[in-house]
Amino acid sequence: MASAKLWGLKKSPWVFHLAAASCNNCDIEILDVLTPRWDVERFGIVLVGSPRHADALLVTGVINRKSLPRVIEVYKQTPKPCLVIGVGTCTCDNHMFDGSYNVVGPYDKYIPVDVYIPGCPPKPEAIIMGVVKALQRL
Amino acid sequence: MNIVVLLFNLIVFPGFLFTAVVGLFITWVDRKVTARIHWRVGPPWFQPYADFLKLLIKETMIPEGSSRILYLAGPLIGIVSMSILAVMLFRMNFNPGMTFVGDLIVIIYLLAMPPLGIILGGSASKNPLAGVGASREMTQYFAYELPFLIAIAIVIIKANGSIRLGEIIMAQQGQGPFLYSISGVIAGIVILLATQAKLSFVPFDIPEAEQEIMAGPYVEYSGVALAMFKVTRAMMYLLMPLFLITVLWGGFANWWAILKALLIIVLIVLIKNTNPRIRIDQALKFFWIGLGVLSIIGLVLAFNGL
Amino acid sequence: MKKEYSKDILEEIGKKFPDAVVKIHAPRRTYIRIPRDKVPALAEFLFKDKGCRLSIATGIDTRDGIEILYHFSLDESGTYYNIKTIIPKDDPQIKSIAPFLPAAEWIEREIHELFGVDFIGHPNLIPLLTAETWPENLYPLRRDYANEHKDLKLKKKM
Repeated sequence: MASAKLWGLKKSPWVFHLAAASCNNCDIEILDVLTPRWDVERFGIVLVGSPRHADALLVTGVINRKSLPRVIEVYKQTPKPCLVIGVGTCTCDNHMFDGSYNVVGPYDKYIPVDVYIPGCPPKPEAIIMGVVKALQRL
Repeated sequence: MNIVVLLFNLIVFPGFLFTAVVGLFITWVDRKVTARIHWRVGPPWFQPYADFLKLLIKETMIPEGSSRILYLAGPLIGIVSMSILAVMLFRMNFNPGMTFVGDLIVIIYLLAMPPLGIILGGSASKNPLAGVGASREMTQYFAYELPFLIAIAIVIIKANGSIRLGEIIMAQQGQGPFLYSISGVIAGIVILLATQAKLSFVPFDIPEAEQEIMAGPYVEYSGVALAMFKVTRAMMYLLMPLFLITVLWGGFANWWAILKALLIIVLIVLIKNTNPRIRIDQALKFFWIGLGVLSIIGLVLAFNGL
Repeated sequence: MKKEYSKDILEEIGKKFPDAVVKIHAPRRTYIRIPRDKVPALAEFLFKDKGCRLSIATGIDTRDGIEILYHFSLDESGTYYNIKTIIPKDDPQIKSIAPFLPAAEWIEREIHELFGVDFIGHPNLIPLLTAETWPENLYPLRRDYANEHKDLKLKKKM
């Protein structure tokens, strides 16, 4: 029975999009992925409106001092088991904002991240491949 | 009645399991047709079942400070009432002699339970967005219930004043389905649009407006409770077209009923994909003034035998 | 309307504010440099009499002091008239233009929290963008901030 439920998790990941202090380029690319041209509903991916319904958190942007407590709060509200996927190079290592007065480091320090997708911004094909790789690790 | 047969009917066929499985299949048909309208491929056939299984392994979080009993009772009310409705509809159609006085009224009460569950669940989650969603659901329920009841009154008049479902079915087998007359068409249109509003589909998905209030009354639900809400809606997706066929199109005790049900479902999907969402005050005006006047005209026509 | 700065406006400014220095940077952008106590009067003149719209305000820390630029745009001809003032760093105060120009409220809050400029007469001068736990007297966009906290800068990872 456990393997049947795990099969369910692999075949229908519902995503919630969380942008923490990003320049919104990666957000536009995530919006592109959800259009009919790339048709991610074939994999069961649906955009949901509330973090309580989500299986995968798509985080973008570099973490700010101001948005840090809010990102941790949203992560706590997502029911486990959940995946965290970091989209964009800003999530990996702060990209060009490294060393600024307001930046507090990559996401790794605060929440466990499963997959990082580098790129500024990553192409929609790269985002789909990243989500599929995260699902295969389950 | 044998208690074992009754329990079997309630839980397995045609109660909870049968209706849930077929209802989830109908949601897949909906998503596939929508995908074809958007020129894309769409999900595979097992998608709704995978969604349901996935929701079973997520943890259920109850908001702090909310009432546990009401929070968990909201989804349950819908499932229980829909199972009872399934048993009643199937029994009345397959032997119309098992009807009792006033069972049409019982069906109307049972159809009022799922919105009540949504309102209860939405108000019990301690979240202002859920409260707004619950109040919108209440307003929308008052909006579509009025023309719906007048349409049921049309059906009662055409069946020579009887409120037993079995006699309505037998009257249709005698004089032809009620849909093949002007007042029948009017009643059909009214019940179809009331179905669209009851299932919370565009243009009437005001309680669950994603861009405005995140997920409406379902905002704080996760895990098994959310799965129950989705299964309730899937069961309504099967039972509302069957109800329409029963009261207006001659009952579903024959094989043509599958085609009739598919036609109604495709109509619902087409209306869903070609319209934007309307505001709550526009919905009230549409149902009370637009459809209300239409259904009263139908009532007058039914009195005069048309 | 011709897409160029209007000579009439500049003449009027020259008559009303004799100590204004006008520099024409490009056909559609002019800088009007003026001492800091005349700024509200010139802003009111541009906003109310000429119908300009406040686009944004910018600040920069230079050797002579903190320089604040108010960018006013005349939409019909697509030209910009910028007001430039220099504020000395040991007395960073200037009269706010927010009482008659509500569009300046938020940008003046931002300049206040990042540079330390005190806007006199502003209705609600609280921090806008920095975190709630940011210490009060630390102004990140000043030049000496970078020098003081140089040791705290992380090395860039390659």
